[in-house]
Amino acid sequence: MDESELIKGIQQGDNKAFRLLVETYQRMVVNTCFGIVHSAADAEDLAQDVFLEIFRTAGNFRGDSKISTWLYRIATNRSLNFVRNKKRKGFFQSLEEAFTGGKNLTSEISESRSDRPDQNITDQQRSDLLHRAIDRLPEKQRIAFTLNKYEELPYQQIAEVMEISLASVESLIHRAKKNLQEQLLDCYKKKCV
Amino acid sequence: MKTKCIHKDLIFYLDNELSEEKRTAIEKHLEECADCQSFLAFLKKGMQVIEMEKNPEVSPFFYTRLSTRLEVKPEYQAQSQWVRLAQPAFFSLLLVLGIYGGLKMGSNASTTNANQQTTSSIQMLNDFEAEPIESFLLNEL
Ligand SMILES: [Zn+2]
Repeated sequence: MDESELIKGIQQGDNKAFRLLVETYQRMVVNTCFGIVHSAADAEDLAQDVFLEIFRTAGNFRGDSKISTWLYRIATNRSLNFVRNKKRKGFFQSLEEAFTGGKNLTSEISESRSDRPDQNITDQQRSDLLHRAIDRLPEKQRIAFTLNKYEELPYQQIAEVMEISLASVESLIHRAKKNLQEQLLDCYKKKCV
Repeated sequence: MKTKCIHKDLIFYLDNELSEEKRTAIEKHLEECADCQSFLAFLKKGMQVIEMEKNPEVSPFFYTRLSTRLEVKPEYQAQSQWVRLAQPAFFSLLLVLGIYGGLKMGSNASTTNANQQTTSSIQMLNDFEAEPIESFLLNEL
């Protein structure tokens, strides 16, 4: 079954076609979401929503791009929304904690970290550090970087997903790497982990 | 003589994106600079997180879970669409009836010769008005 047959099947409500689509692309969608939200459980929940959206909007699929491009676009949009909402919730939560005198978790973690000798960074600390650095990237840099590093997409396909030029993708990824390097250097100098 | 530190190029060195010339210069500098060496190791391990964690295993029940959500959703959607249309229509009707009832009562109160017939019609209007609200609220709960 090729892509157009698959889409036609889904548009006609064929569950087998939909199942085939899900099984073909679930790893890809979960991994893309995971690159942005950094939690396997959240990534799976988001991937479910992505496929539900595909099922409901299959009629709108024009077929002028690949299914994967379409999926990447929905997956990155939903993941960014998820992170934005979480950030907003976190902001109000920390406000609440500030007023109620609750413990601020983030400062607690960084305090306990600075006590440690920097030679013994655990894997967990290292991945927390990288995730924080990725989260601080501007959204477009984050999407381009995630698609390139987590999904190993060539720049041309990233350009299609993001609907921007090839040169813009190159520039976004270049800036993303510079940004990450700066953050890691900063941390290295301050022995932040 | 020690050359200038190259912290800012190391991520591109790691990803093998530098020209031959730049790469040789960096390798030469790394040989004589312990700090750049140490940061390169730090950066490399940091970026390796991605290679280690990517492609997390997907639950074997992924499609099963999805298919149950597919069965539930369309029905709910159809219903909610009906409610979405009917609810404002219902409330506008109530509002119009309420205003009408209010005007009637107001004009009744101002007229001194109110007869039995108009009050009973107001009674009916009021009953009609109150009952659907209660039953509607009950239905909602
Ligand atoms: Zn150096």
